[in-house]
Order: sequence, then structure tokens, then C-alpha cells
Amino acid sequence: MQPTDVLIGRLLDDETLTLEELARACSVKPDWVVEHVQAGLFSDGSVTVSAQRFSSVDLRRARRMIHIERGYDAVPELAALVADMLEEMDQLRTKVRALDPKK
Amino acid sequence: MDFKDYYKILGVEKTATADEIRTAYRRLARKYHPDLSKEPDAQSRMQEINEARDVLGDPEKRSAYDELSNRPHAAHDFRPPPDWNTGYEFSGGEAEESDYSEFFTNLFGHAGRGQTHGRHMPGQDRHARVQIDLLDSYQGATRTITLQQPVIDAQGQITRQERTLDVRIPKGIREGQHIRLRGQGAPGLGDGSAGDLYLDVQFRPDARYRIEGADVYGTLPVAPWEAALGASVTAATPAGTFDVQVPAGSQSGRKLRLRGKGLPSEPAGDFYLVLDVVLPPADSDKARQLYETMAREMPFNPRQRQGA
Repeated sequence: MQPTDVLIGRLLDDETLTLEELARACSVKPDWVVEHVQAGLFSDGSVTVSAQRFSSVDLRRARRMIHIERGYDAVPELAALVADMLEEMDQLRTKVRALDPKK
Repeated sequence: MDFKDYYKILGVEKTATADEIRTAYRRLARKYHPDLSKEPDAQSRMQEINEARDVLGDPEKRSAYDELSNRPHAAHDFRPPPDWNTGYEFSGGEAEESDYSEFFTNLFGHAGRGQTHGRHMPGQDRHARVQIDLLDSYQGATRTITLQQPVIDAQGQITRQERTLDVRIPKGIREGQHIRLRGQGAPGLGDGSAGDLYLDVQFRPDARYRIEGADVYGTLPVAPWEAALGASVTAATPAGTFDVQVPAGSQSGRKLRLRGKGLPSEPAGDFYLVLDVVLPPADSDKARQLYETMAREMPFNPRQRQGA
């Protein structure tokens, strides 16, 4: 690959990830995704898991949950709670940044 | 490469129990968690801590590492002896290889790679963050990113090489979205395909704008008489300059919507001009006189709602 070549990627959400692709992107087995979706810990769980497609939001959430589960031996529900709070914190940070861009 | 003292990184004694290592890891992981820490080197410290945990938290790896560290070794320009891991078999790590140091990948990366001869395995997916300007999303852009990549040299040793990629940033991208670059992750083994590279897109903070999804907010300063009487004013946005009508009787905080002038994603977001009434300074006799006339002739109490 020459550094001058410009790579054109696909925007996640224009294309979404399959169950296997999400698992691979997170370095987990597909069973991890199935169990967490079925437990309602991420994604809306409205579609059969194997047919479900996953977005940027799902990818970020899954990676955060895996980090919490592995790092702290946390049960999935606790990891999901932390991910919920981190997502809310992201939103609040965006608002705070608008009030004080130095933060 | 430098020899890594994993015990020092976690702040534990060499005799630490598994529980002590776990506790030390959690304490430091909380301190340097990239989502929370304000430390400037949080990201790299977290990688170091994770790496130390992966070695010291795994009995096989810890035992091999202890044996290696007990041998005489240089702190810098360290090279592992060729037979250092004889008798050890490491289980494959689950973390991304790109997160590991050269020291780690040399010792434990591609663990058992001698036994993988003839096997074909896809390479791992990798992740990187890329910061862009708001204007890049409005116009599309090409950004250069540099990644550290482990590569196996002709001698079978793993080294880390810098890899530069020019990446097209698609128009309309929103914060937190990922760009997926197929085949740009870790190389596969044998005929295995390379993994994918996911770029996590973040906007560089810009004092002028606030972004919520595809909607963008900016401040529109107006004079008191423009807000009170209404006026046509010019507003600069990343989508261009527009003449907008400020309705009479406006106050600070009122939002004027420019439909479809937010991020040009599908569907396009809106741009909101948030009015900010700016008072002219009373820094001349004339200005003071005008304020005094208003005070005298306008019955106005801004604290009326507070019961004052």
C-alpha cells in the first residue's frame, strides 16, 4: 500500500454489521453477542438475533461492555449499566463542550 | 526495545497474589479509563496496564515472564533469548494485537506461531480513533492517519512498523460513526484474509459550534434593537453565509432554524442559530445618555418574574 493511495471506506450505518462481523470486530465469539442481545443489554432485541444488523452505536457499546466485563470481572448487567452511564456522559460532555470549549 | 517491568507498572511486588494483581489492575484501570480520565497519557497508560494484567493475570505467561526477568537482561535494547519460552504454551489473547507493545508482541504475540505453519486464519479487526474538523464533514476530506502495526520480519521476529494511511472522510459523517476499511486490519495467517480497520470518528472541539447528531448549533450575536424590533442579519455557518430574519421581540436563547443546513448526512441535519443579545458598552457620554433615557422612559423590570 503506497501512502499516496487514498482509502475509501464504508460508513457504518450506511452498511451495518452482521452478528459475526460485530463479534469479530470486538474479538469475542458470536455467542457473546447473542447472549447479550437476548438479555436486552444492547440493541433493541426486536429482531431474531441471527438476522439482526448492528450499527456504530452497537459497536461502541459492545466494546465498552467487553472492557468492563473483562477488566473488572463484571456481570453483563453491571457492564450494561456502566455503558448506559458512559453514553449519557457522552451526551452531557457534548453539551458542556458547547458551553465551555476548553473542557 | 525496552524491557517492560509489569510488576512496576501495576505497582505490585513480584510475590503478589492473583487477588493483589487483580485489585491493583482495577485501581489503575479506574484511574486511567479512557472514558473518564483527565490524564493526558491515559490512553497509553491504559494500554500498558492492560498488557501488564494480561501477562501477570495469566499463570502461564506470568511464569514465563518471571523466568525471563530473572535472567540477566538489559533495560534497553532488550532481545529475548531464542529458547526463553521453551516448555510454555500460551493461550491466544483476546485483546487487539495493535494495543500491545513491541515487547509484548515479541514475547507473547502470535503465541505458538511455530505451530501455525500451514494454517490459515483471518487477521484480527483493528480500531483507531480519528479526529476531524466539523468542516470535514460538511465538505468531505482526506485525512492522513498513522498506525503502529506489528509485522513479522524475515527471521520470524515481530517488530512494530509505522503505517500511514490516507483515508477519505465521507461527507455528512457524524460524531461517533465508524468508517470501515475492509482488509486494512491485521494481516491473516497463511491464506487467511486481512482483518478490517474501524475508524472511530470524533470531531475536534470548536468553540463556535455544538453538534447533536446531524444538527449543528451556533451562536448568532444580535444588538438589543435587532432583537427588540426585528432585523435582517447575516449569519456565517459551515454551510455558507445566509441572510436571516430575526423576529421582533426576540430574547437571548431563541433558536432560528436553517432547515437542511446541518451536517449533510442522509437525511441532512438542521442548523440552529441561537440568539445572543449583546449589550453595547456604556463607554461614552452619548451611550450613557441613551441608557439613562431608556432607564427613565421605559418601564422595565427584568426581575419581575422573581417577584422583585
